[in-house]
Amino acid sequence: MADSGPEISKWQKLAEKELRGTSLESLTKSTPEGIDIKPLYTAEDLENLEFVNNLPGVDPFVRGVRASMYTNRPWTIRQYAGFSTAKESNLFYRKNLAAGQKGLSVAFDLPTHRGYDSDHPRVTGDVGKAGVPVDSVEDMKILFDGIPLDKMSVSMTMNGAVLPVLAGYIVAAEEQGVSQEKLMGTIQNDILKEYLTRNTYIYPPEPSMRIVSDIVGYCSKNMPKYNTVSISGYHMMEAGADSVLQTAFTIADGIEYVKAALNAGLDIDDFAPRLSFFFGIGMNFFMEIAMLRAARFLWADLMKQFNPRNSNSLMLRTHCQTSGWSLTQQDPYNNIIRTTLECLAAVLGGTQSLHTNSFDEAVSLPTDLSARVARNTQIIVQEESQVTRVVDPLGGSYYVESLTHSIIQEARKIINEIDELGGMAKAIVSGMPKMRIEESSARRQARIDQEKDVIVGVNKYQVEDEAPMEVREISSEVRDQQVARLKEIKENRDNVAVEKVLAAITKCAETGGNLLEVSIEAVRKRATVGEISDAMEKVFGRYVATTQCISGIYASEYQDNEILASLRKRTDEFAEKEGRRPRILVTKMGQDGHDRGSKVVATAFADFGFDVDISPMFQTPAEASRIAIDNDVHVVGVSSLAAGHKILVPELIASLKKQGGENVLIVVGGIIPPADYDFLYDVGVAKIFGPGSVITECANHVLNALENR
Amino acid sequence: METDPEYYVSGVCAGNRKILAKTITLVESSLPKHQELITGVLNRLLPFTGKAVRLGITGVPGVGKNTFVESLGMLLVERGQRVAILAVDPSSTHSGGSIMGDKTRMEKLSAQPNAFIRPSPSGGTLGGVSRKTRESLLVCEAAGFDVVMVETVGVGQSEVSVASIADFFLLLMLAGAGDGLQGIKRGILELADAVAVNKADGDNLAKTLQAKNIYADAMHLFSSDNTNWSPPILTCSALHMIGIAEVWETVLDHHEKMSATGALEQKRKKQAIQWMLTLLEEGLKDWFYQIPEVKKLLPQLTWEIERGESTPTAAVRKILTSLNN
Repeated sequence: MADSGPEISKWQKLAEKELRGTSLESLTKSTPEGIDIKPLYTAEDLENLEFVNNLPGVDPFVRGVRASMYTNRPWTIRQYAGFSTAKESNLFYRKNLAAGQKGLSVAFDLPTHRGYDSDHPRVTGDVGKAGVPVDSVEDMKILFDGIPLDKMSVSMTMNGAVLPVLAGYIVAAEEQGVSQEKLMGTIQNDILKEYLTRNTYIYPPEPSMRIVSDIVGYCSKNMPKYNTVSISGYHMMEAGADSVLQTAFTIADGIEYVKAALNAGLDIDDFAPRLSFFFGIGMNFFMEIAMLRAARFLWADLMKQFNPRNSNSLMLRTHCQTSGWSLTQQDPYNNIIRTTLECLAAVLGGTQSLHTNSFDEAVSLPTDLSARVARNTQIIVQEESQVTRVVDPLGGSYYVESLTHSIIQEARKIINEIDELGGMAKAIVSGMPKMRIEESSARRQARIDQEKDVIVGVNKYQVEDEAPMEVREISSEVRDQQVARLKEIKENRDNVAVEKVLAAITKCAETGGNLLEVSIEAVRKRATVGEISDAMEKVFGRYVATTQCISGIYASEYQDNEILASLRKRTDEFAEKEGRRPRILVTKMGQDGHDRGSKVVATAFADFGFDVDISPMFQTPAEASRIAIDNDVHVVGVSSLAAGHKILVPELIASLKKQGGENVLIVVGGIIPPADYDFLYDVGVAKIFGPGSVITECANHVLNALENR
Repeated sequence: METDPEYYVSGVCAGNRKILAKTITLVESSLPKHQELITGVLNRLLPFTGKAVRLGITGVPGVGKNTFVESLGMLLVERGQRVAILAVDPSSTHSGGSIMGDKTRMEKLSAQPNAFIRPSPSGGTLGGVSRKTRESLLVCEAAGFDVVMVETVGVGQSEVSVASIADFFLLLMLAGAGDGLQGIKRGILELADAVAVNKADGDNLAKTLQAKNIYADAMHLFSSDNTNWSPPILTCSALHMIGIAEVWETVLDHHEKMSATGALEQKRKKQAIQWMLTLLEEGLKDWFYQIPEVKKLLPQLTWEIERGESTPTAAVRKILTSLNN
């Protein structure tokens, strides 16, 4: 394409004329991924690209894993949902299935994720809050009542308590009359990313990897239609990772699982085709599309080192979810538009199934209305927009192909770095991936706070006097119901048999054998999720994350030095007056492990000149209050994203008062429905910071409140 | 802020956590009125101090200090002991702020009612890390803790400060990454009452034992001025709770021997005198720079040196002579 030269210069001249003196180079913008985006792409950009002009359904699958893609069968609309009880969730699934949804996806509550029964004292604020509580197979049976498990593909987001939950699903099917080989669906079973972002693990990485292998091994023999690991980048993106980080870490996680399964003696082609992926799709439209294409290329490329004979082993099949992080509490109906764009990006990127978020996701769990709109978003793209007519319609686009190439290049660099550290498990122990994600997240927050990244309704075009939105309220009776059912189960089962089978699990954990096999036996005997988890914890221990938090990142991205300087001046003045800097404890209570927000706040506040204490995760209110007392902090900042605030915050305040800490200021940040604001202010909260709050402003509010004490 | 010394004295002696915490805040405060108050409080607390085992712990970043402290702390708590931990976290020189994540790395211990963990920012020093930590240690002793551990980030001056307030100074090391003593200065090795090579587990075990021998050789090179005690080299795995009890036995053994011979009392007296001298030097410095004559001369002489019109020696002489007059 050498003859394109003169034409390019002609375009340059025209563009420069339009720019009226500004240089053409100024139109080239660098993305957070470190990729330079030019104002124009041409055929020249596609020269020498290794993958352009391939076909869909063929290695390296850049253009899609199926030859006919959506022209034959569209992607599966798979909405993730779980409501406070198994019964309510069951009703919801049945309603959705009747309304055109093809697969179902279960969201469990946090105690279930972390292997606690609903009657455990650590989880009082969490039962039924972010999903459905499952304590035993009886809950599973209610959850799938009237849903034929031999015909319905079921996806379960479970990583911590994978064994008792998967066993519960298997036994529930068994008691429905469905045998194991007919079961189809996916269990997330992606424990590595839990250590990076969401923190819903139970055991340390090593035994956890064994559990993954045991599940892969068992299912490859007994459940051939079942996806045994869903390697997830979604949570990394939600935690602040850019597209390159999401791609690199997800692929590297996948390679680690492959190696673990191979080490456990499995044949690559027996399990690799059952590995699936899960990507998060954000608002950078073309970047998201290119990311999915790049990920498919990288997976096919890297899997070749294991010499599979079946080309399905090279295929990256993926589920996608639109970004919850991109949704705003402010002017929330805008979220429908955001989700639509993200939905379209996932589709043009070639996803196999998709969840679209509800517009009220930034505030609470979806209502019937918001859930319907979310589902219809996909149906409209699928059935009205005609985008499914052609396979990979963006194939050959100068920009998209070039961007795909750039992501491949950048992600490869990180994958090589991980290789040098000895693979992803070792890299995680080194802290590198978590640090990168947190760094990326702090930078993103600083860009938003400076309006470099625009979010309509948050940092631009804000609406005054917003009308409150109707949100779903979760009754506190859920826990009582669960506790009663647990009691009933424990009274009516053969407790001697349960003890025996639990001892067998402990032994299996210690000496070897397949943990899923013994877990299924235990579930048949009515052992609970908590009991099975405890039986393994005796051997494996419970994992305690080391929290690393680096200061200076937020400040380095934040270029408006005036605001930064004025905040630092305020904290300096505070120190001069009080004899020490303002000291804040940033804490997360309950089983909610989403710590992105609290980390960003901690690093930013330290950059503003606060002394910042970070509590361990999963605190009870009593524990958090004790840290506040011992460290003699001025302020406690509670981060809450999982609806536990109405129980946990009043308990924290009461516990502080009991220890003489009535003067400690309480601020709350995260996902708090506006309807709960008055409740929290009434119990003594000084200030609430919803999604989209600018951190510099939060810090000023905190300082104001301290001065007005 | 309560201004009656009796409030702090009786609260600390009664083991009231909130008042203990507030007293440490007072120790750390840079306000003159707080310093005056705490001086009075400390004087009255002094008779109740001296009963704890004072253990100083240091090591380079990544050596596993927090994990070690958590493991040792849990061991002591399970044996019915009350443990206080004073941790010093570095403050940013840009913002003055700091992040104190010690408790996140001591999750089990931080939930124990018989443990008190207090991280402190190193920044805004008035009197330095040593003064604050030393006085906080005395407050913890008065509050009845059996063991007080002082933990610092292992770079530079702070180890020396820790050694000057602890009965037993424990240096944590790792099996060598090639560089033998990993940037630990010879002077610090000389101060150690024991070296524990951490992370002696799994693939690392063989390397650790090897390192133990290397460190043992290195330690022999130093002639100890303590004839009662030759610092042992131990191995442990804080993560897997291996060898922690042995480290503690060593500390107790040292404590018994030193107490029996009166060496402990000597050491503490020496430390107190050293502390006084340090405070005196700091006080002198503060006082010196506040003298009007110095305040006037110093910028002038700085300027002269910048322009090459005077030498540093001559400038110093000029300032000091001006004071003599």
